[in-house]
Amino acid sequence: MMRHAVITGIGLITPIGIGIKYFWQAAVKATNGVLPIESFDTADFKTKTGGEVKNFKASEYLAPEKISRMDRSSQFAVACTRMAIDDAGINCKAQNPWRMGVCMGTTMGEPQVLEHGIALKYASSDAAAIPRELPSQYPCNVIPENVAREVGAKGQVVMIPTACAAGNYAIGYAADLVRMGRLDVVFAGGSDPLSKIAFTGFNRLLATTRGVCRPFDKNRDGMAVGEGAAVLIVEELERARSRGAEIYCEILGCGLGCDAHKMTIPDPAGSGGILAFRRALAHAKVAPDKVDYISAHGTGTIENDRGETLIAKTVLGEHAYQTPISSIKSMIGHTMGAASAIEAAACALMIKNNMVLPTAHYQDRDPECDLDYVPNQARDRKVNIAVSNAYAFGGNASSLVLGRLQQ
Amino acid sequence: MSDRHIVITGASAICAAGNSFEELSGNLPAFSRIDSKKTFEFHSFDVDIPCYAVAGLDPAAVLGKAGLRTKDWATKLLLCCVESGFGPMLTAIPEPQRPGLCVGTAFGSVQSIGDFLSDSIVNGVNNVNPQAFANTVINAPTSNANIRYVLRDLSATISTGFNASLDALLYACDHLRCGYLNAVIAGGLEEISYYGLLGLQRSGALSRSGTMMPMGIDADGTCAGEGCALFLLETGNAAKERGATVLAEIAGIASAFDPGPVKQNGNLSRDVVRFVIDDACKQAGIRPSQIGFVAASADGNPKIDEAEASVLAEICPGLPVTAYKRKIGECYGASTALSLACALADMQHNRISGIGADYRAMSGIALVRDTLESRTSTYALVNAFSCDGQCGALIIKKR
Repeated sequence: MMRHAVITGIGLITPIGIGIKYFWQAAVKATNGVLPIESFDTADFKTKTGGEVKNFKASEYLAPEKISRMDRSSQFAVACTRMAIDDAGINCKAQNPWRMGVCMGTTMGEPQVLEHGIALKYASSDAAAIPRELPSQYPCNVIPENVAREVGAKGQVVMIPTACAAGNYAIGYAADLVRMGRLDVVFAGGSDPLSKIAFTGFNRLLATTRGVCRPFDKNRDGMAVGEGAAVLIVEELERARSRGAEIYCEILGCGLGCDAHKMTIPDPAGSGGILAFRRALAHAKVAPDKVDYISAHGTGTIENDRGETLIAKTVLGEHAYQTPISSIKSMIGHTMGAASAIEAAACALMIKNNMVLPTAHYQDRDPECDLDYVPNQARDRKVNIAVSNAYAFGGNASSLVLGRLQQ
Repeated sequence: MSDRHIVITGASAICAAGNSFEELSGNLPAFSRIDSKKTFEFHSFDVDIPCYAVAGLDPAAVLGKAGLRTKDWATKLLLCCVESGFGPMLTAIPEPQRPGLCVGTAFGSVQSIGDFLSDSIVNGVNNVNPQAFANTVINAPTSNANIRYVLRDLSATISTGFNASLDALLYACDHLRCGYLNAVIAGGLEEISYYGLLGLQRSGALSRSGTMMPMGIDADGTCAGEGCALFLLETGNAAKERGATVLAEIAGIASAFDPGPVKQNGNLSRDVVRFVIDDACKQAGIRPSQIGFVAASADGNPKIDEAEASVLAEICPGLPVTAYKRKIGECYGASTALSLACALADMQHNRISGIGADYRAMSGIALVRDTLESRTSTYALVNAFSCDGQCGALIIKKR
């Protein structure tokens, strides 16, 4: 019998809210989370703002001895996992540990460990100043491994660091692992902390906005570096049903591709995005005219938003003009490898709540971006099929198709 | 008859023991050379750190000078490996039909990431080279290879520490099994970097004596290596249709995790080690006794080596065990792929390359010391176990 992968739990940490309730309330109101950065000095940077999570307290989710062994990205991921478990009402101890796994994505991993270590090295000129336990907290595989330890998973534990498309890669693979029958429950998502490396790099590329992030707007001037995480519980349908779980939606398909164009500039023709979108729809067995909503990658850069509009029109044809497409990065900034995991969580909530989230700060129409971007106000709409797009450095492209569960 | 098995139809490798699969294959039985590293661009060590570095590789000679100026060493290693094993083949295939790429790495371009940060501290955030930023994402080497060879089918990077290339091969196999792809180039990559060496040094993982003794009773740590190994994977059907020579079949591949508490250079649960070997054997449809030889994961980390040795002694006593890392170093995320390349080379030459050393081995293990010639093996087991809890096993079948 064919197995289906469904989402039964969500945990998320974003600059506009931690947890489903606070995130959703803020997102519906088009709240701006791109604010002056407080965690490091921005005096030397042209950009002073970012999507920073300001009120995260690891101690609310983790015991003190665990906090000291994890850096911010892992803390985010484990905290999200705890929230997702509560949301799903799943008892991890009652699961077969060999059939539980973890699949996460990230762009930078735990960059603050490296930042801290190098700062110590320069401060003392002595490598011995670096605590012995610090290096083991750096490799990005520690993020899913810390999640696995939290839940006691003995199945496959994977990190897929495919930059800003990583969340979709992770969720897509998690669904594959469930459908293939290797695992029954997978904790899947993405996590990235605010990183000086990323902040410096995007500043030097002149890719960051000086004000707010306004995707698809004629006067958009760039992206906002952000941080956050989301973990989804991806579960086999019949098992979820048998334990009476509330099911948000089914993961119907995932498509991956690459434009093979440039490291930091997407192909203007959208070749990777078109390939990924078409593959995702084919995998999901969904016709283009059945798509009810698109969660855009929507970074707020000239190139991305123009290319993404072209991708939607190429794949959906005339139906693109009837399909709402919005970017929550207008509110939370670009949370890197966490972005598409948060956006997948947002899509699941939109399917559940019969409402699409808006693109904030949208004011002036760009002739090259002529679709319905759900400007500034959330909209009541029944979403049966949502497609979430995510693109990344190196031309990585991904599309995830989520669908309302057919009874 | 339909053949949905995953087969290897091409191999490429670069490591201390050779700058191509053919060179590695020829050098492997007798190879023994260890170098050292001390000075890097922004930082240096007080003393030489013994390690197994790639030697004599000139990327400009392999790839041509164009497009290399902004590429870091990790990327150049990967590009050279693609070129050496698959370059002419790829350029002969129309772009839309070229296979995708899936690379496992523990640290990616960590030298570039750390240097970008160091540069911003030394010279100021407004003076760092913006082009260097592109190298700071962990997937940068993979993506650069996708771009250079116009590989649009897949661009994936997997990072599961020391096991990354096994998990990259598993991810690639899964994509083939699911029917998403017809062919994919998959393997592992790791560079020797200041930051990686510093991390190993601070955490106490490096051998104090500067000598790696896998599964040795007196082992005192590991020695770092670097390299890249890639394989062209496709279904048996696809290989047959295009008349490709099959080097081997991936008969079983398993991955699991030990969620026990984190310990510095800590222990590994025997039940997880055993689980992956059993699972790989089950997939291959064989008993452990049918395995011809084992390419151990062992790298001189006493507790992890002991876990592997005790399980091997229990489930396949007397089986020849070799440890290629003794010859090429602990190459982190590239380790399993490089061990697979070595095992493949040995199977092709009907031999089992020995470790070339005479230290005392852990009990119950038939460690191959001198190369065994005229040894035909149908199956080889390639292990991957790491101190962070990742466990993997891969069985290849000679065809």
